[in-house]
Amino acid sequence: MTIPSTHLFVQTLILGVLVGGVYALMASGLTLIFGVMRVINVAHGAFLILGAYCTYWLFTLTGLDPLLSLVITVPLLFAIGWVVQRYLLTRIQNPEQASVLVTFAMAITLEGLMGTVWKTTLRTVRPDYASKVIELASYRLPVTRLAGFAAALIVLILLYIILQRTNLGRAIRATIQDRNAARLVGVNVEMVAALTFGIGIATAAAGGSLLSMIYSFNASSQTDWISRVLSIIVLGGMGSLPGALLAALVLGVMEQLTAIVITLYWSPIVFYIFLFLTLIVRPQGLMGEVVREKA
Amino acid sequence: MRLLRVPPWAWIGGGLIALLAFPIVQRGQYYQHLMVMTMMAAVLASSWNILGGYTGYTSLGHAAFFGLGGYLVALAHNQFGWHPFISTWFLGLVVMGVALILGWIALRTHGSAFVVVTIAMVFIFRIVALNLGEITNGARGLTQPRPGWGGVQWSPEIMKIPFHYIMLALLCLTVLVSWRIRLSKFGLGLVAIREDEGKAEAVGIDALVYKVLAFGISAYFVAVAGGIYSYFFTYIDPQFIFNIFTSVTMVLIAILGGRGTLWGPVLGAFIMEPLGDWLVGTFGGTQIHLAVFGAILLGVMLFMPQGILPSLSDWLKRLTRSRGAGRLGPEPGAGQDASSAAKT
Repeated sequence: MTIPSTHLFVQTLILGVLVGGVYALMASGLTLIFGVMRVINVAHGAFLILGAYCTYWLFTLTGLDPLLSLVITVPLLFAIGWVVQRYLLTRIQNPEQASVLVTFAMAITLEGLMGTVWKTTLRTVRPDYASKVIELASYRLPVTRLAGFAAALIVLILLYIILQRTNLGRAIRATIQDRNAARLVGVNVEMVAALTFGIGIATAAAGGSLLSMIYSFNASSQTDWISRVLSIIVLGGMGSLPGALLAALVLGVMEQLTAIVITLYWSPIVFYIFLFLTLIVRPQGLMGEVVREKA
Repeated sequence: MRLLRVPPWAWIGGGLIALLAFPIVQRGQYYQHLMVMTMMAAVLASSWNILGGYTGYTSLGHAAFFGLGGYLVALAHNQFGWHPFISTWFLGLVVMGVALILGWIALRTHGSAFVVVTIAMVFIFRIVALNLGEITNGARGLTQPRPGWGGVQWSPEIMKIPFHYIMLALLCLTVLVSWRIRLSKFGLGLVAIREDEGKAEAVGIDALVYKVLAFGISAYFVAVAGGIYSYFFTYIDPQFIFNIFTSVTMVLIAILGGRGTLWGPVLGAFIMEPLGDWLVGTFGGTQIHLAVFGAILLGVMLFMPQGILPSLSDWLKRLTRSRGAGRLGPEPGAGQDASSAAKT
C-alpha cells in the first residue's frame, strides 16, 4: 500500500474520469433498456465486443479511423438491436424472470460465433496516435483516452437531446414512468421498446468502438465487460440514467485509485466490495427508486 | 398410460438400483466419467433449485460456492492431508457460512438486481483466488495428489468408481433434503415468497430469513460437489472453477427439467450433460459448441419456459381430459382407462 503524492493523485483522478466517461456510455444503453422494458440485457457485453470487432475489421481492412467507424457501427448495431427486440425478445412470456437467461443465451451464442470467426487472439486497434500523450499543466493525458472520453461525451449529449427534446424521447420517458399510462395516452409502447433496444445496442456499439483502441479484447472478454457494466447500473439504480453516469465515474476513479494505491489486479474487487456495501445501505442503488416487482 | 401407474417409489428404487449397478455393468472409462459428471450436474441443479426454483430468486452466483468448496478441499488436502471424501462434507458447511453472510446482503435486492449481484460474487471470488498467490498459487492453479485412500493410489481402471458412489450419495442427500424442504412449512414459505413476497411477509413470513436460509442450504450441496470435483480432476484454477458458465449450466438444467419441481433438475441433468458432452465432442476445439449451447438455451427459454416436466404433465393431463371429455355417465374405472390407452 502506498500513499500517492498530490500530483499523482490528481493525475489518477483525471485518468479515472476519462475511463469513467467511456463506462458511462457503455452503461447508459443498458440502464435505458432496463428502464423501458424491464429487460436486463446480459448480451450487452457481447454487443460491445461485436462493436469492437467491427471497428477492428474496418480498421485493418480499410484503415478507417476507429472514431470515424462509429458512423458505421452505430447504425449497424442499432438495426441489429431493433430486429432482436422485435422478433426475439417480444416472444418471451414473462420478461422479468426470463429475460436474463434469454439474453444470456444470446450472449454466449454471440461469443461462440465471434470466437469462431475471429479466434481467441487478443486484438486491439492501434491508430497512429495510439501512443501519443498530451501534456497539460504537467498532467499527462493519453490521446486515445481523451478521444474516447470526448466521443463518449458527444454520444451521451446526443442521447440526452433525444430523450429530452424529441417526441421519441418523451415517449421513452413516459414508458419508463408508467407503461400502461403511456399506452393510454397513445404511446406505441411496442415501437418504443424496439427503438429503445436499438438505441441501447447502438450505444454499446459506440462504447465497443472506443474500447477497441483503449483495451485489448477477444470474444470471451465480453464476460468481464458485462459484469462491469451490470455492476455499474445496479450501483446507480436500475433504470436510472443519471445514476448510471455517476456510478460509472465512481468505478472509473476507484479502479485507477486502487491501481496506484494497492495493485492493478485488485482494482475490480474494490468496486465490487463498494457495490456490496452500498447495497446493504441502499438496496435500490444510489439513485434508484424502490419498485415493487410483480405488482 | 400404464407407465404412469407405476408407483413413484418403484421409479425411484429402479433408478437407484440402475445407478448403483452402473459402474459394475459399464466398465468403459468414458461412460463412467460421463455418469459422474451427469450426477454432479444433477446435484448442482437440484441444489440451485432449492433457492432458484422454490423462492424464484435466480442466482448466477453459485459457481462461487462451487469454486470455494473446490479450493477449500484442495487446500486442506495439500496443507493438512485431509482426505477430500471426508473433508468436503464439513468444509461445505464453511462455504455455507460464507453464503449466509453474502446472501444476507445480496437478498436485499430483488429480481434482476439480485441476478447481477450474484454474478458479481463469482468475479469477486475469482479475483481473490487469482491474487492470493501465496495461498492459492494464483493463475497456475492447485494440483492434488492422484486419488487414493490410506496411502494407496487407485489404479486408473477403478479410479472413477469411488467417485461414482460418493457423487451418488450426494445426489440422494440433495434430492432428499430438497424433498423434505418442499413438504415442510419452511418450503411452503419459500414458495409463498416466490408467488408474492409482499403478501408472504404480510402473513408473517420473515422473508429475508427464509431466503437467506434457502440460499445457504442451496450453497452447501454445490460446495460439497465442488470439493469432490476438485479431487476428481486433481487440478483446479480460478478461471475454470469460478466460471459464470457453471452457474448458467445449473440454471439451464433446472429450467429445462422444470424449475421448482423436485425431479425436474435431475431429469434435466440426465438430458443436458450427455448432450453437452456430445456437442463438445462433435464441435470440440472450435467455439461453435458455445454457440450451439446458447441456441439450445434460447430455444428452451422461448418455446418451453415451463421446462420439460411441467410441460409433459400438462400434456398428459390434457390427453386424459380429452379422452374423458364428451363422455356421459359415471367416470370409467381408472385402471381400465389406463390399460386401454396403453394398447392404442
